[in-house]
Amino acid sequence: TKWATSLPRYPATNMALQYFDATCSLQLGQLWPSVRCSLLSERKYGALLNNFSDHQAVMSDLQDQGCWDFVSATQVEAERSELKRSHGGNRESSPLSLSANIKCFVFPRGDITRFKSARPDQYRLLGYYLLDAASILPCLALDVQEGHSVLDLCAAPGGKTLALLQTQAIRFLSVNDSSVARTSRVKNVLHSFVPKHLLSTDRLRVTSFDGTHWSAFERDTYDRVLVDVPCTTDRHSATEEDNNIFSKIRTGERKRLPQLQMDLLLAGIKAARPGGEVVYSTCSLSQLQNQYVVQQALHLARQEGIHLEVVSLQPLVHMLSGTFNFAPDLLLGEMVVPHLTANFGPIYMCRLRRLC
Amino acid sequence: MGFTDTQAELLHQTVSKAAGSAAAQQTLSALTTLFVLGLNPSSVLKVLEKCPELHHINESQLNQRINNLRKLGLVEGSLQRVVAHYPQILTVPVKRIKTVVLFIREKCLFTVQQVAEILRDSPAVVQEDLDQLEYKFQYVYFRMGVKQAEMVKSKLFRFSLEEVRCRHCFLERRGLYQTPDKKGQTLTENPKLSQILHLDLETYLADVARATAEEYDTFGKMIEREWKEEVWRERDMGAD
Ligand SMILES: C[S@@+](CC[C@H](N)C(=O)[O-])C[C@H]1O[C@@H](n2cnc3c(N)ncnc32)[C@H](O)[C@@H]1O
Repeated sequence: TKWATSLPRYPATNMALQYFDATCSLQLGQLWPSVRCSLLSERKYGALLNNFSDHQAVMSDLQDQGCWDFVSATQVEAERSELKRSHGGNRESSPLSLSANIKCFVFPRGDITRFKSARPDQYRLLGYYLLDAASILPCLALDVQEGHSVLDLCAAPGGKTLALLQTQAIRFLSVNDSSVARTSRVKNVLHSFVPKHLLSTDRLRVTSFDGTHWSAFERDTYDRVLVDVPCTTDRHSATEEDNNIFSKIRTGERKRLPQLQMDLLLAGIKAARPGGEVVYSTCSLSQLQNQYVVQQALHLARQEGIHLEVVSLQPLVHMLSGTFNFAPDLLLGEMVVPHLTANFGPIYMCRLRRLC
Repeated sequence: MGFTDTQAELLHQTVSKAAGSAAAQQTLSALTTLFVLGLNPSSVLKVLEKCPELHHINESQLNQRINNLRKLGLVEGSLQRVVAHYPQILTVPVKRIKTVVLFIREKCLFTVQQVAEILRDSPAVVQEDLDQLEYKFQYVYFRMGVKQAEMVKSKLFRFSLEEVRCRHCFLERRGLYQTPDKKGQTLTENPKLSQILHLDLETYLADVARATAEEYDTFGKMIEREWKEEVWRERDMGAD
């Protein structure tokens, strides 16, 4: 019979859904059914444009297909309203400048067209990298400026690393992932997208360390640190049996996630210089892995004499709310929640500034 | 025969359009049969308009088909309503109807009484592809956990598999519908099949799915693509 699939008796995806039903319905309330349905339906991609490739033709091809770059579109909009405001004379907050070099193309709301896979140009560099468009947001939130040194603590498979490099503002980028196999995937990605001379050792370093021990090696160093931690990867867990963290044998690992996440965040905080900034991000909806981890890390950092402030991401949310759906009223940080018409995320992010 | 002038004029045109005298003769016999069945002039006209093929069927065949429907349990009143509503049923040979009825009874385990109700409420089943019919039945029986009696009550066979599946899957993914376990139990109460099928889209979205039209619209496009690709995958697996 056609409908009876040969699923295991207790598929991990079922376990995941049961867990989400119990926790997310409390957390998201009325939003949950809509988010649930989106998690279980086809996700939407974005095409991160590769500025290092022969990208003009690629760009116009993408535009011809009906998609647009949500980063620069947003930027233009923001500048326009900023102009209006400064004319009005009450210029309170400085505008958030998005790293204008990052370009990510998406199809309009409700449009489910898929991207074709990218093709190499004459130098064998690919024109774009397909990823969940929401995963660009932590990179935008990191607000990289000209000349910055940046640490990407959990970098594999490398989508965010690539987005950070697109800014073309970074003086030195340190790329790390504890998994050797996955680190080599980052290297492959870099070689398919970035010209060799930009990957020289004085500009970029790739390591496979356990990020939780980073401070034994470097402290108070970076202008920016991205801590994109391993998490329950909710969308994957709800839909794929393969490599599912809700499978029975991975229960221990799953329960240890919040501790690992906190250790990684703390390590990232210590790696940032005073005045530097850290962005913590996950692709989970779970409060336990998001707000609580940040709160706990702030608390522990304080005990070690490191003070931080939370930097509001409201301007970013405000600018991007046409493209993404954000969860309302989070205590700490911001979260993109999936919606059928814009099926990106989940992505949680929180931006911290180290005071001393 | 009790026609108004305009009706008579229309009928005249219908009859004379049927080229040749044999055709005209048959049209008359179709008319007679429908009158004998007890349809009034305006219904007869509508029936012939809806289903011009009836002109080409001879009287004895028509009578055979009507008698067969009676035997299947379409009582007076229902029979006329079915013919008025879905005259195409009289173009279907007795043999085909028997096959479908047997199929519904043996493959889907409906009772004689239920079959009559299905014919009355959803006569178009007689022309449906039997594989499709079986798949729709199995989908609702196994995936949705709905029993025959409720299928009949909610006039399931009026709806296409795609309509049923789309509304059901939407609810299922939203966490508002669960396949019952072996004991027929679910953690939360499922909406009734008729609530899923019969409400107009707006009410279904507002009261049952609690979603926006925009969401459902996108979902429809997504799920259609998903199913298409599922079929392709199955075909690919079967082909090697
Ligand atoms: C969510 S993924 C990162 C995705 C990546 N930033 C991107 O955008 O492509 C989390 C990564 O953390 C790595 N990881 C797990 N434990 C780690 C640790 N103790 N130190 C460093 N990396 C770790 C995993 O190997 C995994 O590749």
